[in-house]
Amino acid sequence: MNLRQVNREDVPEMPNRLGIAGIEFIEFATSRPQALGQVLENMGFRPVARHRSREVTLYRQGDMNLVVNANPDDARVSGTIDGQPAISAVAFRVQDALKAHTRCLELGAWGVPSHAQAMELHIPAIHGPGRSRFYFVDRWQEFSIYDIDFKPIPTVDQHPPALSGMNYFGVVQYIGAGRSADWLTYYEHMFDFVSIPDEERFGILPKGKLMKSPCGSFLWQLIEPDPWMESGDDGPECLQRIGFGVSDVGEAVKALKTHGVEFVESTQLHPEDRGALTRSVLGSVAFELVHK
Amino acid sequence: MNLLDGYGMDTITMAGSLEAKLAAMKRVGFSQVMLMARDLVTHPGGVPAAVQAVQDSGLRPTGFQVLRDFEGLSGHLHGYKVDIAKSMLEMCAATGSKVLLACSSTSRHATQDLDLIAADLKKLAMLALPLGIKVAYEALSWGRTVNEFPVSWDVVCRADCPNLGIGLDSFHIFAAKSSLDAIEELDPEKIFLVQLSDFMWQETPTFEERMTTARTFRVFPGEGVHSEQLADLVMRLDRIGYRGDYSFEVFNDDYQQLPLDTVAERARRSAFWLHENVLHRSAPLPAWARQRS
Repeated sequence: MNLRQVNREDVPEMPNRLGIAGIEFIEFATSRPQALGQVLENMGFRPVARHRSREVTLYRQGDMNLVVNANPDDARVSGTIDGQPAISAVAFRVQDALKAHTRCLELGAWGVPSHAQAMELHIPAIHGPGRSRFYFVDRWQEFSIYDIDFKPIPTVDQHPPALSGMNYFGVVQYIGAGRSADWLTYYEHMFDFVSIPDEERFGILPKGKLMKSPCGSFLWQLIEPDPWMESGDDGPECLQRIGFGVSDVGEAVKALKTHGVEFVESTQLHPEDRGALTRSVLGSVAFELVHK
Repeated sequence: MNLLDGYGMDTITMAGSLEAKLAAMKRVGFSQVMLMARDLVTHPGGVPAAVQAVQDSGLRPTGFQVLRDFEGLSGHLHGYKVDIAKSMLEMCAATGSKVLLACSSTSRHATQDLDLIAADLKKLAMLALPLGIKVAYEALSWGRTVNEFPVSWDVVCRADCPNLGIGLDSFHIFAAKSSLDAIEELDPEKIFLVQLSDFMWQETPTFEERMTTARTFRVFPGEGVHSEQLADLVMRLDRIGYRGDYSFEVFNDDYQQLPLDTVAERARRSAFWLHENVLHRSAPLPAWARQRS
């Protein structure tokens, strides 16, 4: 007897044509790297390595890599105002970085010229929303890309554990009014992200449209300005904040509070089982905790 | 609110400097302008100065024209056109224009496969998307494969991309003698631009005649021999729910040698003809506009 199931209706598998397998790193650009570094350390990150040729520091906790780029040109390109940090890049783990990059360019992405120095890694990138970029990294299994471009900070634990088991849960992107359909199509077409029905929501900030990466390991939330807002909210589109997944929100909030992290507490929004939001610091930096 | 708000002129209709054109449009009460890339690059102060002039005028850009012969190419030609498109998109974004006009290809080197044409237009729309720009794809009446608006609509549907829609141009519709019945098939939300003009004769059977007429002897709506059809077109668009802009795309050698105010005044008369005689929009005219009439 043949037990093999025949795909009688030609139901397609969920495509993942770039072979996306999670977030390799997220990059902030700022001209105030020390101030941002303090904020990140409060959130449980530890500086573990410095870039060989540029003013760039690698922070890490658990599986999460976070890069603080204070290279003057990059900080300027990212349009950071008064040193206000901005999320300037998200690097996706992919099957084959060159293939992923080539495919995106063929689909209509804007390529970013590399400025890798001699012996440094050339990480292919495309332009993302606003002034941000998307990088494609394929060498995350055999060896670490950071071993090439970064020098470890001596005596520092290179793999500090994650506070309360935090990991990258998702990224929140602010978009222009009426732009949801555009960006949904963009992420679907470029990266095979999939829309999540409006009924299905995570955390305590359920607004906007939600998408899931084809590997299922992170989410992408698109938020338009409120229609009732006066014309004031026509700021540029940007990657607004990172969400961390935790198994116990209450415990994580408690642990972070002992580090001096403050949380938004109001009648509409207060830390609870499903999630919590940190108070914005340095003008623009807030993090979200989401129950996973 | 200005009753002329839904109507605008194209810079291509008038001679003179960009600043002089913008000022003339403003003086007769227009609040928007359809920009031509040439107006920016020929500005003595370069593109940044031209962008500044547009911003200083306070006129809202209706859109930015024109990307030609983009779709259906392969190999080096395709790569070359993608580069051109990116430069056009950058200028479009710099002026604050939300719509880039792309005309159907006339190239004999381009494929006639509608699915491949659609795929290229989707790529163009993807290039435009992060910049917040919509692409209006227009059927030129001498386009090689796509030369009537039902075909441009077919291609846009195949591409299925929210920031890719169609641009309609009454000249090309009348020159190709396209039936207006197909207007009913259009989704008004996907009509990103409507350009209006007329001309002075009934027949333009060959592509050559269409080109010559289109480039030298268009007139404003209400001035030509297709006023009835033009009114019919606008009424049908109104009926299916189109509420976007109407821009006057009038290439005319005579207007190029008339004082700017004279030409702008003809455009204003045309807008009022559309507003009052065709669309019968009921809001009363403001006093300042009455005095001019």
